Amino acid sequence: MSSAQEEEPPVIELDNAEIVYDRNFLAVQGVSMEAERGDIVALLGPNGAGKSTILKMISGIGRSERGEVTRGSVYYEGEGVTNADTNEMVDRNVTHILEGRRVFEDLTVEENLRCGLYRGGRRVRYSKSDYDIAFEYFPQLEELLDTEAGYCSGGEQQMLVIARALIHRPNLLLLDEPSLGLAPKLVVDIYDTLREINREENITMIIADQNAKETLEIADYGYVLENGQVELHDPAGVLMDREEIKEFYLGTSSEESRYSEIRHYKIRKRWK
Amino acid sequence: MVDVGALFSVLVTGIGVGALYSLIAIGFSLIYKITGVLNFAQGQFALLGAFLVVTLSTSLPLWMFDVQVPVVAALILTVLIGAALGLLLERFVFRYFIGEPVLSVIIVTLAFLSIIDGGVRFFISSQYRAYPDALQPDWSVSLPFDTAVQAPFVLGVVLALLTVAGLMAFFRYTVMGSILRASASDQQAAMVLGVSIERTIVVAWALSIAITSIGGILLAMSSGGAGFTIGDVTILVFAAVVFGGLDSIPGAFIGGLVVGVLRQFGVYLEEFLMPGLDSVLPMVFLLVVIMVMPYGLFGTERIERL
Repeated sequence: MSSAQEEEPPVIELDNAEIVYDRNFLAVQGVSMEAERGDIVALLGPNGAGKSTILKMISGIGRSERGEVTRGSVYYEGEGVTNADTNEMVDRNVTHILEGRRVFEDLTVEENLRCGLYRGGRRVRYSKSDYDIAFEYFPQLEELLDTEAGYCSGGEQQMLVIARALIHRPNLLLLDEPSLGLAPKLVVDIYDTLREINREENITMIIADQNAKETLEIADYGYVLENGQVELHDPAGVLMDREEIKEFYLGTSSEESRYSEIRHYKIRKRWK
Repeated sequence: MVDVGALFSVLVTGIGVGALYSLIAIGFSLIYKITGVLNFAQGQFALLGAFLVVTLSTSLPLWMFDVQVPVVAALILTVLIGAALGLLLERFVFRYFIGEPVLSVIIVTLAFLSIIDGGVRFFISSQYRAYPDALQPDWSVSLPFDTAVQAPFVLGVVLALLTVAGLMAFFRYTVMGSILRASASDQQAAMVLGVSIERTIVVAWALSIAITSIGGILLAMSSGGAGFTIGDVTILVFAAVVFGGLDSIPGAFIGGLVVGVLRQFGVYLEEFLMPGLDSVLPMVFLLVVIMVMPYGLFGTERIERL
């Protein structure tokens, strides 16, 4: 029994993790990060910075792409889960929303949601009320139930994959580029809903996104990755005010900077 | 003049034979639908079923063992052994191909074709084995134009219909069925919902081999016993599923019927035209279908949003 004073371990913790693909391609090195219970953690950085890789190694799906944590450790609620496979992480209530709105195209919206009920084949019977949590946050889906998911709009598909994950009742939700290819208005809507879900359902989230502004606005803490390493990390509010972030992710720098100068700029290493 | 009665008889017998092809074609489609693998050894699984029944129900030894059980038990055992075989294949073979290109598994099925064929010859019998009387029901259903449908054909039609209905309900209304279709559509997205690919492979092969065994047994019944020609059904099944749309269960059923009718029609025409039409017609049909409608009757076309 742990006493009340004892600090609760973070939901997820990476300790100096190095991730290698195919025993040969170094994707992430020396990354340490953590997500406290109930927090939204933003993972920011350009393409190829290692955001997706980190999510994939947490959920275990990276193993199916020949990824491996070769150094360091991953802990889930204080227990070692380094290189655990997807089934184990699903059993621990970790749900991963993959990049690119991966709906099951030839299944209807209802059947897509039904897949969220699957837990190692234990669930046989189901009823409409199982979908309540999905409709609570995405009422639009209720009218689309019989539509084939492939025919839904991009926004609807993004809502569907989040709803499907919610039905899975996750404790930790990993989201990979939820704003990708969506209209700015939709991005704001989806992020607001994510924040609401995070508060109401007490679901810890890690959001990897290039859309720094919207992500930081709902996040509690943020990590900026570059070339597979953490370059900056701070509470979201602090991060948003940092000059580097303003300049290169938010585009709200006080000084006008020319493209030719930006191109060769690299965030200075200030954290190791 | 055209003999209506003869043509009707061709149609009826064709549907009867076709239903047996359908059962095997459904088995084929199941594997393709769930795992994306074209199983070239489908006919061999039918062959295995046909021979297993006869060795289990008669004094014919199974390798070194002398087993003889009542016919009903032999039938049930055969289907169960078929399902168990699916489990073993996953455990010892397919598991190691997860993540490899699907083509490697397809090549593996080509190996099975010979392995099963040889295995049956070695462990069971290398000759045609007549079915015992208990496995040769002699009743038939009479239809107009003095046409009688033999028992295996009647059983085939009924069982094929039941199988199609059962599988469609399974895929449409159960969580497991939805998840199987889901993992066929996007394996990774299904994996992060907790689907184990191993399990989907087991379900696909166990169900498929069990259903195919039934088809094989009925095929053997309709010709009086188990012979190695049953294995040749694969190519006909291929025509059937291509017509139906590869991943469609009802498509496989209808495709099987069409191929059966074409075959019988070929037999009928042989009297007037040339011999060998019964094998040519279904293949000409296969060619035309591939050219005219590559997705078949009910095949899944990828949805492309513009």
